[in-house]
Amino acid sequence: MGHSMKRKEDARFIQGKGNYVDDIKLPGMLYMDIVRSPYAYAKIKKINTEAALKIPGVVAVVTGRDLEQYNLHWMPTLMSDTQMVLPTDTVMYQAQEVAAVIATSRYAARDGKEAVIVEYEPMKPLIDPYKSLNDDAPILRLDKPGKTDNHIWHWQAGSREETEAVFSNADVVVKEQMHIPRIHVASIETCGCVADYDKVDNHLTMYMTTQAPHAIRTVIALVAGHVGLTEEKIRVISPDIGGGFGGKVPVYPGYVIAIAVSFLVGKPVKWIEDRSENLQADSFARDYHITAEMAATKEGKILATRFKILADHGYTDAAANPSKFPIGMFSVCTGSYDYPTSFVEADAVYTNKPPGGVAYRCSFRVTEAVHAIERITDRLAFEIGKDPAKLRIENFIQKDQFPYKSPLGWEYDSGDYVAGLEKAMNAIDYDGLRAEQVEKRKKGELMGIGISTFTEIVGAGPSKDFDILGIKMFDSAEIRVHPTGKAIARFGTKSQGQGHETTYAQIIAEELGIPAEHIQVEEGDTDTAPYGLGTYASRSTPTAGAAAVMAARKLRDKARKIAAYLLEVSEEDLEWEPGKFSVKGAPEKSKTIQELVFAAYTNHPQGMEAGFEATHYYDPPNLTFPSGAYICVVDIDSETFEIKVRRFVAIDDCGHIINPMIVQGQVHGGLTQGIAPAMYEELIYDEAGNILNGTLMDYLVPTAVESPKWETGHVITPSPHHPIGAKGVGESPTVGAPPAIANAIVDALSVYGVTHMDIPITPYKIWKKLKDTGKI
Amino acid sequence: MTTSINRTFEINEPIEKVWDSLSNPHEIVSCVPGAALTEQVDADNYKGTVTLKFGPVKASYDGLVTFLERNAATKTMSLKGVGTDTKGKGGADMLMSGVLTDKAGSTEVNVTMNVEVTGMLAQFGSRLINDVSNQVFDQFIDNFSNKLAGKDVNNTMSAGSMVGSMVKGLFK
Repeated sequence: MGHSMKRKEDARFIQGKGNYVDDIKLPGMLYMDIVRSPYAYAKIKKINTEAALKIPGVVAVVTGRDLEQYNLHWMPTLMSDTQMVLPTDTVMYQAQEVAAVIATSRYAARDGKEAVIVEYEPMKPLIDPYKSLNDDAPILRLDKPGKTDNHIWHWQAGSREETEAVFSNADVVVKEQMHIPRIHVASIETCGCVADYDKVDNHLTMYMTTQAPHAIRTVIALVAGHVGLTEEKIRVISPDIGGGFGGKVPVYPGYVIAIAVSFLVGKPVKWIEDRSENLQADSFARDYHITAEMAATKEGKILATRFKILADHGYTDAAANPSKFPIGMFSVCTGSYDYPTSFVEADAVYTNKPPGGVAYRCSFRVTEAVHAIERITDRLAFEIGKDPAKLRIENFIQKDQFPYKSPLGWEYDSGDYVAGLEKAMNAIDYDGLRAEQVEKRKKGELMGIGISTFTEIVGAGPSKDFDILGIKMFDSAEIRVHPTGKAIARFGTKSQGQGHETTYAQIIAEELGIPAEHIQVEEGDTDTAPYGLGTYASRSTPTAGAAAVMAARKLRDKARKIAAYLLEVSEEDLEWEPGKFSVKGAPEKSKTIQELVFAAYTNHPQGMEAGFEATHYYDPPNLTFPSGAYICVVDIDSETFEIKVRRFVAIDDCGHIINPMIVQGQVHGGLTQGIAPAMYEELIYDEAGNILNGTLMDYLVPTAVESPKWETGHVITPSPHHPIGAKGVGESPTVGAPPAIANAIVDALSVYGVTHMDIPITPYKIWKKLKDTGKI
Repeated sequence: MTTSINRTFEINEPIEKVWDSLSNPHEIVSCVPGAALTEQVDADNYKGTVTLKFGPVKASYDGLVTFLERNAATKTMSLKGVGTDTKGKGGADMLMSGVLTDKAGSTEVNVTMNVEVTGMLAQFGSRLINDVSNQVFDQFIDNFSNKLAGKDVNNTMSAGSMVGSMVKGLFK
C-alpha cells in the first residue's frame, strides 16, 4: 500500500494484447447491424425488408413485430420505467433502433441495413423539457395506460417551509438559472456484445461491454426467464473494457436483440456499435436545468440553499441510479459548508430525445450538485464583494465537526477542507494571482481565477438504503491461495481501465504479506467471480476493496491458527508483521505466510478445514466522502475570447492512497473529462430533434492538445469506517473541475457584470453574451 | 434543422418573360440542381425528385411540389415542397417565395427559401448545410439566368464541385 507499483494490466494493453468484446470471434458467428430512425418522433407505416433480404449474406431482418411474438419488444429500465427493444409502431427519438439486420459478415449486415426501407409518418416532436410540461403538450407515452402528461416523477428533500422562512429573512439572496448540458461518455470502445446461445444445453454465454456483469445476468434471467433462460443457464462475461464511465451500466436494446436472435437461430451473434451510433443512441449524462439559490448574511455567512431541478430524461427514464434515489445523490448539493437549512425538489419529464441519463464518471448526479453549489457560492461572493476563497474558508465544515450531519441527512465521514484549500492556494500563489489580476484589469486584459471546493459522496452503498432492482449494493471478494503461496482473487466489480488488477493485489498483499505480483486478480465472469453490483460511482475500493481486506483478514486469522499449531504456542503469543507470524519475545521462532499456506494443504491441524480460501461480501456501514480543492487560472483573449487554462491545481482527499501513480492517472483523466463539459462538450438538438453533432467531428472531446498541465496534490483524512481508510477517487476530478473552470471564466468576465454562464463556455458564447448585453 | 436564404438579383429580361418562367413548374424545376419533375398531379401539384450530395452524404428525396400562390398581377409566387428520403433516411421541407419588380426593362428577382432538413442529412451535414445551400442557390440563379438568355443549363449537382468550391471559399 502507498507504493506506485506499475500496473499489472498494462503489459497486455500497451502491447495490443487486450481482449475486448470485438476481439471475440466464434465459429459460425453472425453479425448484426441496426436500422435507426431519422426522425425524433414518427409513426412507422411500413418496414420493407425485401431488398435487404436479397443481399448475399443477409440472413434475416428482425423488427418489433417479430419480437412482439415473444413479448420481447419492451424491456424494463433500471429505474422501473419501460423501454422499447424494437418499436412496433412509433419511434420516440432520432437514432432509435427500428430493425436489426443479421448477416454472415459485418459488411453484408451494413449493406442490408442500408437496403431496409422504412416508411414513416413524421410527427412534431417535443424537444424542450419545459414545453413538455405545458397543458397543451402532446402526451408522449401513449403506451402507458392512463398517462395524462409527460411528467415522470417528483422528488424532494428538506423542508420547504423552513427554507422559505430563512430565505425571506435573509440579508442577501442570490439566484441563478443553470443548465448542466446533455453530454456523452464517449468512451474509446463503443458498446457491443456477442450473444452465444447453445440450443443443445439451453445455455447462453453473453460476452458484453458491461460494468456490472452479475446484475446483467439477473436482469437477463428476469426478462428472458419466460422463454426458458433461467439464471443458472446464463453466463455473462465482461472481458477487457475500453472505458465505461457509467455508459456501460444500462442494458441497451442491441444487447437484447442479439440475445433474442441467437436464441432463435442457435448461432452466436455479434453486435458492435459504430462511433456515431454510440454517441447518438446510448445513454446520455446530465441534462439538468437547475434554479440555484443561496441565502446569507451581508457578511457572507451562508444560511440556506434551495435548488429546483427539471430533469430531461428523454422518452424513458433509463437512468442508472439506486432504486430509492431517482435523482441519485444530488442531495449532497449542500456542499462543503456548514449551515442548517436546505430544500431540493426535482421533476423529471419525457421528451423526444434518447433515454438516460447515466452517471458519467460521477456518483449519481453529484456532478450536477457540485456545479450548482460551487457556482452559487461564487455568485454570493460576487454579490457581497468578498473574495471567494475567504468566503469558502469562513463557511467550511471544520475538521473537528466530522462525522458531520449534512442539512439533507448525509453523514460526512471525514475531511479537512481548510487544509485542502490552503494547500491549493499556496501551490498556485493565490494572493499573487489576485494582485496580478488587478494589474491586468487596469490594462483591459481578461484574467480569471476560479475555485471549486467540493465534497463527493461515493461507494454506494449501505444495504439499508441502496439497491438496484432490489439487489443490495454490497460487493464481494474471494481469495484462493494455492499451496505454493500464490493467489487468485476474484471480485464482483469490473475494471474498465481503473487498474483493479493492481490495486486489489496491493490491498491483499498488504493484508496477507503475499507479494502483489503473485496475486492474480480476475473480474467479469459471472461463472467464476462472486456476485457483486459492479464498478461505477467510485464504489470499487469502498466496497470490493473493503471486501478484499475482510477476506484477507479471515485468511490471516486462519494462518494464525495454523502458526500456533506448528509453533506449538497459543494464538495470543503470536505477533503479525506483513508476511509472517512470530512468537512474542522469540522472533527467531516464526512461520512465513507461504509456509502456513502450504501447511493448510499438507499439514493442517485436526478439526480444521483444509485449504486456504475466503470470501467476503462487504456491506458498507456508510458512504465515503472524498473532497477536493481545485483552483484554475484562465486568460481570455479580449478580442477573440479564446479561453486558455493557464494553470490548474487539484488537491484531492481520497483518504488513504493504495497506489499513488494510479490515483494520479485517475485524477489526470478525470480533470480532462472535467474541462470537456466546461469548455467543449454538449449534445445539441434542434427543434425537430435532429442531433446536430452526432459525430466526433462535431462533438468535441478534448485531446492532449486541449489539456493543460495538471498540478496535483493531496490532503489525507482516512475514512473512519472503511477498513483501510480509503474513499475512492475515480470521479472527484470530473465532478470538481467544471465549476472551477466556469468560476474562473465568470470571474474574468465579471468586469462586464457577468454573473453566470452555462457550460460549455465557448468563445462564441462569450462573444454573444457580451454582444447581446451591449458590453462590446 | 432550418436554413434560410434570401437573395435579390437582376435579370436583363422583361418582367413578363421572367414571370412566365418563374411561374412555370417545368421551367423553374429544371433550373434547380439535382431536381426533376416526374408527374403532374393537377394544375398546382407536381411530383418530383431531388438528389443532393453533401460531401460523402447523398440523399434522394421523393416529393410533392405545391404552388400556393401564382399571382400574375402582383408577380408573386410561392410554393411548398415536401420530400422524404427514398431510403427512409429522413426528409426535407421547403417553402419558397419569389417577387418580381420591373426595373426599366430588366427585372429584379427577390427569392426567399426556407429549407428544413430532418434525419441523416441534418446530422452529418449540419456544418455544411448553409454553405451547400448557398452553392445550390447560386447555381439555380445561374441556371435561371442562362435559361432566360437561351443558354445551356447545368442541372446536375456534383459533390466534388460543391465541396471543392466550398473549400476554395474558405481560402478567399
